[in-house]
Amino acid sequence: MKKLFIILSAILVLFLTLPLLKLILGISMDSYLNTLKDTEVIKSIFLTMKVSLTATLFVLITGLPLAYLIARYDFFGKSLLESFLDIPTMVPHTAAGIALLMTFGTQNIQGFLESIGLGFIDSTTGIMSAMMFLSAPYLINSAKEGFKNVDIKLENVARSLGASQFETFIKVIIPNAKKDIINGMLMMWARGLGEFGAVVIIAYHPMIAPVLIYDRFVNFGLSYSAPVAAIMIVFSVIIFLSIRWLNNRFNRY
Amino acid sequence: MENNFLEIKDLFLKKGKFKLNILSLDVEKNEYFVLLGKTGSGKTLLLESIAGFQKIEGEIIFEGRNITNLAPEKRNFGFLYQDFALFPHLNAEQNIRFSEKYHKKNEKLFNDLINFLQIENLLKRNIKNLSGGEKQRIALARAVYSQPKLLLLDEPLSAVDPTMRNEIMKNLKELPQRYGLSVIHVTHNFREASYLADKLGIILKGTLLQTGETDHVLKNPNSIEVAKFLGFKNLFKIPLLGFENSHKYFSIDPNQITIAKTPINNDYCFEGIIEEIMGITDHYKLFVNVNGNQFFIKTPKNIFEKLNIKKTEKIFICFNKKDIVFI
Repeated sequence: MKKLFIILSAILVLFLTLPLLKLILGISMDSYLNTLKDTEVIKSIFLTMKVSLTATLFVLITGLPLAYLIARYDFFGKSLLESFLDIPTMVPHTAAGIALLMTFGTQNIQGFLESIGLGFIDSTTGIMSAMMFLSAPYLINSAKEGFKNVDIKLENVARSLGASQFETFIKVIIPNAKKDIINGMLMMWARGLGEFGAVVIIAYHPMIAPVLIYDRFVNFGLSYSAPVAAIMIVFSVIIFLSIRWLNNRFNRY
Repeated sequence: MENNFLEIKDLFLKKGKFKLNILSLDVEKNEYFVLLGKTGSGKTLLLESIAGFQKIEGEIIFEGRNITNLAPEKRNFGFLYQDFALFPHLNAEQNIRFSEKYHKKNEKLFNDLINFLQIENLLKRNIKNLSGGEKQRIALARAVYSQPKLLLLDEPLSAVDPTMRNEIMKNLKELPQRYGLSVIHVTHNFREASYLADKLGIILKGTLLQTGETDHVLKNPNSIEVAKFLGFKNLFKIPLLGFENSHKYFSIDPNQITIAKTPINNDYCFEGIIEEIMGITDHYKLFVNVNGNQFFIKTPKNIFEKLNIKKTEKIFICFNKKDIVFI
């Protein structure tokens, strides 16, 4: 049986890694260098990373309290709420984009957001909301698991030693759920980097990397879009792996 | 009106099917109070209620002030869990010093605790690498360092290596005088209770059945449940003795019963049939049926062998009134 399992696993692993390797290794050094000098590409990659990071930080502030409430308390409608939070991971991304557009793209809200300097359609705010809508569940669910694993007795003891509920949350609960929270942030951030379907409906410009790759493919063909795609993947993977490595190394107790 | 140090009135708490119902419990200043009860009798819930971790009905009065709904951090009670609940992200010393941010830093107390509990060489250690006894001392130091007036100990010795227990029990017994605090200690261990307790409470199935001076409670159970829990044997209804009084039951120590082939000069002698004989190294255990009541008797080997009796034979069991405990 073990042999069969190894063969079946090998098929899947090859399928998952081969396209990435082909993309990254199939491009000449020259075209890498040329693409790296293309400021539009670099700007777009950094914009993608920055906006996804902003979305992640926003969900960190609002999502940690939510995850904690779900992990710690039983309340009416809790399982319904949990199902709602998972919906974004199931819907087609373009459908999510349409829903966001219908909600925040209306004259009034668009006008209000523009008046406070944010905007929605064709703005980074719109991109951020698309990323946030579709990726927030990854952070929320991971943090929820982390909080569930923090023994309530630690919380009780901290309170008996004089820490308020909020101080206990900051000084005891978060440090002990840190590993799951950071992993959740990484997951959300990485998912945000790849967001295309919802973003393209709300904001074609400013161009984030996935839109740029699509744009170059449609207008100039494969040879112009492939290097952008490869560089985006390499950058993301480097950042992802190094944070995950640091997280595992320093959060072992 | 007299003001007790800690006073609990009509405490009620429901968790699923389990009900905790404590009508009245008083603890005095610098008193070592032990709550003795089986696992699942609600001991931990009661401690958590006193600490403010559980929402309860009823009243908790501390130094004349109603603290029933006061947040745990405002009560200043120390809490020690059975598994110690040390903070995994902090080392031993950081664990002890956790309360410094909320109470005053006190180097004198810190150094005194380190000496008292002999934990100097543990301070920089990762708590993951500490033994049960070491964790216990760190957790105890952490609780006492927050300078509580009342210390709540939940089975503090059960996760400690048996060889360390006596040492730690001595430390625990010294706590009230040394640090000016009262202790409520819950346990299922009789030895711990009788060694440590100034006062003893017996808690079974969520109800506090009896409280009082330790020796008194251990020798004079006030109900059949407490008597059974404390290991009293030969519990029978009083009419068996041929009279009635204000008590319902009596108990007779199996060692205080004499067996004989003919009635002897004791206050009570009953004829019965031997149902079972078990030989143990230096004594025999006998089960004798007297009109449907089974008596348990421990008798020395030489006496038993002289009598030369067998199972199903008739025998007299005799005891004196002074050895009877009325319940």
